[in-house]
This record gives sequence, C-alpha cells and structure tokens, in this order.
Amino acid sequence: MTTYILRRLIQTVGLLFILSAILFTLVNVAPGGPITAYAGRRPRPERIEQLKRQFGLDQPLPLQYVYWLVGNDWTKIDSDGDGIKDTAGSRKGILRGDFGLSYRTRKPALDEIASRLPNTIYLMSITMAVALIIAIPLGIYSAIKQYSLFDFFATTFSFAGQAIPEFWLGLLLIIIFYAWLKNPWTGEPLLPAGGISSLDGGFSLSDRLAHLVLPVLTGTLGWIAWYSRFLRSSMLEILPLNYLKAARARGMTERNVIFKHALSNALIPIVTLIALDLPYIFTGAVLIESIFAWPGMGRLYYQSAVDRDYPLLLAVLIIGAAFIILCNLIADILYAYLDPRVRYE
Amino acid sequence: MFTKKRTLLFLTLAVIFSLTIVSCSPTPAQPSATEGPASPTGSEKSITIVIPEDPPSFNPMVADTGYDALVMELVLLGMADVDPNGNVFPELAADLPTVENGGVTIDDDAGTMSVTWTMRDDILWQDGNQVTADDVLFTWNAISDPVNGTWIPGIDYIDSVEQLSQNSFIVNYNSIYPGYLTQFGGEQLAIWPAHYCNLEQGFLSWDCGREPLSDGPFVLHDWVLGDHMTFHKNDNYYLAPKPELDQVLVQIVPDDVVRKTMMLNGDADIDMWINANTAKDLEGSEKAKVSLSPTDRWVMRLYFNLAQKGTVDPIAYPHPILSDVNVRRAIRSAVDVDTITSEIFHGLATPAWTEFFRAPYQCAVPRPAYDPEGAKAMLEKAGWTDSDGDGVRECHGCSTGAPEGYAMEMEFITYAEFGEPLELTQQLIAEMLGEIGIKMNITVVEGSILWDQAENGGIEQSGNFDIDIWDDGYAGVDPTDYIWELYSQEALVPGDGYNVMRYDNAEVDALIDEAYTLDEASRKKTFCAIADQINEDVPLVHLFTTPNLEAYSTRLAGVQSTVNDLVTWNIADWTLK
Repeated sequence: MTTYILRRLIQTVGLLFILSAILFTLVNVAPGGPITAYAGRRPRPERIEQLKRQFGLDQPLPLQYVYWLVGNDWTKIDSDGDGIKDTAGSRKGILRGDFGLSYRTRKPALDEIASRLPNTIYLMSITMAVALIIAIPLGIYSAIKQYSLFDFFATTFSFAGQAIPEFWLGLLLIIIFYAWLKNPWTGEPLLPAGGISSLDGGFSLSDRLAHLVLPVLTGTLGWIAWYSRFLRSSMLEILPLNYLKAARARGMTERNVIFKHALSNALIPIVTLIALDLPYIFTGAVLIESIFAWPGMGRLYYQSAVDRDYPLLLAVLIIGAAFIILCNLIADILYAYLDPRVRYE
Repeated sequence: MFTKKRTLLFLTLAVIFSLTIVSCSPTPAQPSATEGPASPTGSEKSITIVIPEDPPSFNPMVADTGYDALVMELVLLGMADVDPNGNVFPELAADLPTVENGGVTIDDDAGTMSVTWTMRDDILWQDGNQVTADDVLFTWNAISDPVNGTWIPGIDYIDSVEQLSQNSFIVNYNSIYPGYLTQFGGEQLAIWPAHYCNLEQGFLSWDCGREPLSDGPFVLHDWVLGDHMTFHKNDNYYLAPKPELDQVLVQIVPDDVVRKTMMLNGDADIDMWINANTAKDLEGSEKAKVSLSPTDRWVMRLYFNLAQKGTVDPIAYPHPILSDVNVRRAIRSAVDVDTITSEIFHGLATPAWTEFFRAPYQCAVPRPAYDPEGAKAMLEKAGWTDSDGDGVRECHGCSTGAPEGYAMEMEFITYAEFGEPLELTQQLIAEMLGEIGIKMNITVVEGSILWDQAENGGIEQSGNFDIDIWDDGYAGVDPTDYIWELYSQEALVPGDGYNVMRYDNAEVDALIDEAYTLDEASRKKTFCAIADQINEDVPLVHLFTTPNLEAYSTRLAGVQSTVNDLVTWNIADWTLK
C-alpha cells in the first residue's frame, strides 16, 4: 500500500504539472482578453501597452507560463516600456506559492482565496453532513421496504431532488421563507435572504443557523437524492445474498443483519462516492453561493472567469484540481482499506 | 451493533459537530486597518445599499466596475465633480478656474493653456491632517509613473503639474484641453493622501486603495470580502453637520431577483443600475421607488461596417452592401424605435437620433421618420431587388461593387452582458429589416470579445462584422475626445481609435480639430455641424438612450440617479423620512 501511495503521489505531481500547462494555455487563449475588462471599452493604445506590461502580457505565451510557474525574479523585465529590460522581476511563481496579483484588485490571488475558502468549507461541509444524515437512513429504509408507499415517495422525492435546478429552488425558497412568511411576533421575515450572518454585528448562534437553513436546504436536496438512490441500489444488491440468509439462519436479529452485515458492505461504494464529492467542500457551489450571497469559492471562481482575472482564475482552478486529484487518491485508498478483496500491488 | 445508545451518541456528535462548525465559522466583523469611529448605536440612521459584487477597491482606475466609484464617492473627494444636469461643481477646489476669473490662461500662439487651481483650506483627512496641494502632486506623480501609473483622460495633454503654495497648483497643458475641469475629479478620479498612501506600491496597487483614509462624508469601518462593507459618518467632514446618515452598509447580493425582493421587502435602500424590467416590477410598491437620471448618456446604436467584413479599409475593400449610403438610410428608416422603447423598455428609454442630444451640446437635427415603405423604395432605387421571391433582396445593378445576385444577408451582433432587453431589441430589429428584404443572422457574444484588440481577434477592431448594436456615449460634459475616437479618420486604424465603422470624411476631421477650443459658442456650432454631417452620411444609426435607473426605498429622501456619476454622488445630502 505504501508503495502504491508513493507512486500515486508522484503521478499526482506529474498530472498537476500537465494540468497547469493545459489550464494556463486554455485560459490565456480563450477569446476576449483582460485588457478590455480592465481598461474599458475604449482604451487608448498607451493604456493598453501599459496594462500589458503590468499584467505581464507583453511576453510570449510560453514565457508567460514559465514566469507564472517559476517566477521572474531571476531575470530582468522592461517595466516602463522603453524597450530596455532594466528592472528585476518580482514574481516568485506558483511553485514557490506566488499565484500572482489579481488583475481586479491588484492584491495577491492567494489572499482572495484565503478570505473565501473558510466560508465555503463552512457551508459545504454542513450541507454534505446534513445530506448524509438524511440520505443514509432514507436509502436503507427504501431498500428494506422496497415497493412500499414509503419507497414510492422516497423515489419520487429523489427524482425531484435530482431534477429541480438549484437556482429555481433557491429563489423559490427565498420568496416563500423571506418574502411571504413572517415571524408572527416580530413581523420580520421568517428566514434571511442570504449572507453568512446579519450585518448588525455580534455573534449569535441562532442567527448563524437561520442564515444556514435556506442554502443548506437547497444544496442538500440533490445530494440526498443522489446518495439515497445509490445506497438503496447498493443495499438491494446485497440483501438477497446468501451470507445474510446464513446470518438470519444463525438466529441473528433482522436489525443486526441489516446494520452490521448488509450496511457495512453497502456503504463501501458510498464512502468512495463521498470521497469523490469531497472537493465540493473546497470548491463550493456557484449557484447556491450566488443566490444566497454566500462569499465563497464558487462565486470567486465565477467572478474571476467573468472578469478575465487570469491569476485568480488559474489559482482557483489549480487549487481545485489539486483537491480533486487528492480526493481521488483518498477514494482509492479508502476503497482498498474498506474492501479486503481490493489489493493495490 | 447499533443500539439506541449508539444512535443517540451519533446524533449528539453530529449536533456538536454542526454547532462547532457554526461557532468556528468565519466571523464577519473583521476590523479594517483604517480606524473608523465606533459603531453608531441606539437611534442610528442606517441605510443598506445592495450591489452584485465587491468593489475591486476604492480606486475606479483599477478596474472601472462602477462599484468602486460608488464607494469612492463615500470616502474620497476630487477637485470637482459633475451633477446630474451636467454642471461641474467644486469639491476640493475653492472655485472653478475659468478664463473669465483668470484661473485659465491661454497662449494662442503656442496653442497651449495653463490652469491654476486654488483649494479649500478647511478640508481634513479623517486623521485630522489637512488636504493640500501636496496630495494633488502626490496623486499626479503616482498616476504619471511610467511603471506603476495609469492613463487618465487628457493625460497626454499635460506637460507638467507644479505646486504654487500649500493650497494651489498649476497644470500646464501642451494643447487646448476642454475637459480640464474634471481631470482631477469626476466619477473616476479622487485625490489621495500623500502622508498615508505608499507611492512605491503604485497608484493601482497601493494598500490605501482598499483601506482608504477618508476626506468624504463617510469613513470605512470594516470590509468583509464578498459579504458587506460598513461605513460610518465622518465627523471631520467639511460640510458638517452633513451627512445626516450615521451608517451606510454596502451589502453584496449577486442575484438581481434577490436584490429586487429585498427592495420590495424594505430590507434594502438602494439597488443601483436596475434594468427596465425591474423598474416595471417595482411600480406601485410601497417600499421602493425608481429614480431616473434627468439626462441620458448611453445611446443604443447600430454600427455599420463600411469596409468589407474582415477588412479595415473602406476605400480598397468597400462593404458589398453597407458602403452605399442609401442602404444605410433605408435601414435607419426601417427601424421602428418607438415600438422598441415602449414595448421592450417600458417607455423608460427615449428616442435619440444624434450624438448631441444633451446639454451643453444640443443640436436640432431632424428626427428620421419610421418609413418602411420608403425604405423599400430606397433599396429598389439603390439596385437591391428580390427577383427570386424568397423575401431576401439581391444586387441587381447596385453601386457597391457587389456581384450581380449578391444576397442582402448580413451578420448582426450584440453583446450578452446588457441582458434580455438588448437581445430582444436585436431580434426585433432583425425582424424589421427582414420585412424590407434584408436578412439578418443574429449573434450574441461577450463584450470582451466584441471590443478586444484586433491582434486578439476583437470583432470590431478587426472589422469582422457587418452590423452590431450596443450602447455607447461620452462621460461628463466634454465630448471632444470621444468624437475624435469614434469618427476621425485617424481613429479608423485598428488600435489607434474606435472608428470601427471605418468612416472617412475629411470635412468631419477638420470640424473635430476645430472643436479643441475653449470658445463655447464656437464649440456648439462645430459640434452641430458634425451632427449634421453624420446625419447625412449615416455611418451609424442612433436609436434611443438607455435609461439610467436606480431603485431606492421610500424612506430615503434626496436620491437622484445620474449618468454623470454614481448614485452616491450626493450621499451627504440624503436623509431618512
């Protein structure tokens, strides 16, 4: 296993390197550059040249990639446009943790990410936890009571959960719980429309929870449907197996048969699935964060793409890619750990 | 084995986990580096402005999103600003320099001018230091730095800026620059504190751009990225006891439907730049009203490419359809502007048919009539007829150099960011032109692709279009540079200007040169002569002005939308009912 993990880690480094080149190229060759976004619709030629120098876009694309990767503090650049490379570069490159300055704010891209990442982890981890707390019993009970009225409703709910678009559900919930329903005692909206907390300052647990309800509800619905259907299917494959019949024949209670023997095996693919979904905790959900004014990574990604903020966009993409690769590795390792039949040699 | 105890333990742990996350979650109230006054309490007068995204900084020269200028108005002053009717008024300046009061001296022989500014001596930064000419010189040095500086309108006309005393300075121009009054002010430029900002960090990157020292009506108290900004009343404001408001919250709410719902619910006081559909939805609301700018700036217009698609030389490669002025006039006659403004813009847009429709330069250009039958006749006369009965005209003796039988079919482009009203306008115009036998194939692209440089494949700059439609107009009250960039022959070359129509008229070029004077009577006459010539040549079709709309709560008084600035231009005068 150790050899396998080491091999995968080495492959990860190579994969990230290839990904970085692909992402950098795709972002930079996409039509519509950052100059129009930051110099206005009618920039003067002098302004265009100045911005290109400030953004480092005055260099050929391969050299831009090298500077982005390893920095340019080992060479000299033409910073004032006089055609003479007489100023030492100041960029360290992503390999030394310098993702460059955001075009939009002229501040380090990593600082922008650092300000958003905790918010996304906060929202998405709770969303995922709530989804699992509901989905696992739902999936188990649907499997045990296959074709029952409960199963019928759970199945309908699951399909609806998968089919309803998040933006529609989110806006609907805001209209119902923010615009229509009022607190009968205060006359205030029953739930806030968005944000992490109220703007009047101070920490309040009830205020934090109230701000979580709608985004978590919107975010969990799809995941509940996804996990519960998967678990139901997994359980249905296992329930008819002989080893469960043998367990029952040995006099084991039905509860033990289901939870100890059936569930432990049915959960193996779910655990893998969860591991593969873990990157969402770091990358966020664009629609939910946008509708509920949640200052997270999803919105940051969307905004940086719209703004052609290449340094920030690439930082989000590379960090997101690293999380995905890491979580895939975790999924593979967990799979081997949980299922003794799987061996990585 | 799952027992009741284990289930209970599991649930307890889950609840503790959730509560721990909630408790340890990011705390919104992050203090800013700028020490503002303590949070107002008790009977505070607080309002909430909702905007879709964080301002990049307080310096609109960094990214020009509009949200930066919105918050800049709260904390920073320029030498002068412009009101909604286009009148320039002093802020840091004691008065406006003019030729009459001796503030402007002109050297007719050299064609140069000098402007002497005198500043008020009673304006303080929030830390108690006086705002002086040192700050102006510091700001100018930061802007004009070749490495970390930026470009501002009219910067090329400035030879030097020299300090005369603590409260006065002189700007020496190498030419006559009519826009001098707002060069160190207006909607985008403020004066920055020399003792607080770090010049080495550069004008666009310095930390004070995100943590500004205020000389405006409010001071920044905290800024939680992506969530909100809090501003408190500046007790040092020079127009004290203004502002009446104690606190301004700027809340980031990306979704426009949610912002509208907050306005209707009375939880937001200002929603800037709403579209006509939202304005319609707010009609009759008890909680929200709509403010419309008394003057307009942005004119929706059809740009004709007079050169062959993919080329930029209208003489060597004339457009096979649009190089004939009669075709362009026919298209102008076939567009029913009134229907567009009433049906798509709910009557909030105003028909416009010239560049010079607003003060101080208003020209009496006759409005072109909507006359589809006349348009058809014009096309027939120009050699464009539908001989095969497919509804699309072909060239049969046309004068553009198009081959016989060449179909009257063109690409019609617009940009996506404006949203649904523009896309509907584009579709309706395509239908209207279809009625007179011109087939339009509509395309919607991102603005950054439409307006990008030619070397990056920018559609307009590389001439890779037939007709496109978007809104444009000049900022402030001086259209001279704008007119040069749009209509002069020099601006026809990709990268040198924005004459993307490739319009080439020596008479207009001479008139534009004449417009660079401070003689107002002469300027008005010159601009109207330009308007007449453009009306005759139709290199583009002015359609209507797009409304500048802001939603505001009914409890708020003093709000006035403006195209010359952001809605917060007069926030010091806002009061709560």
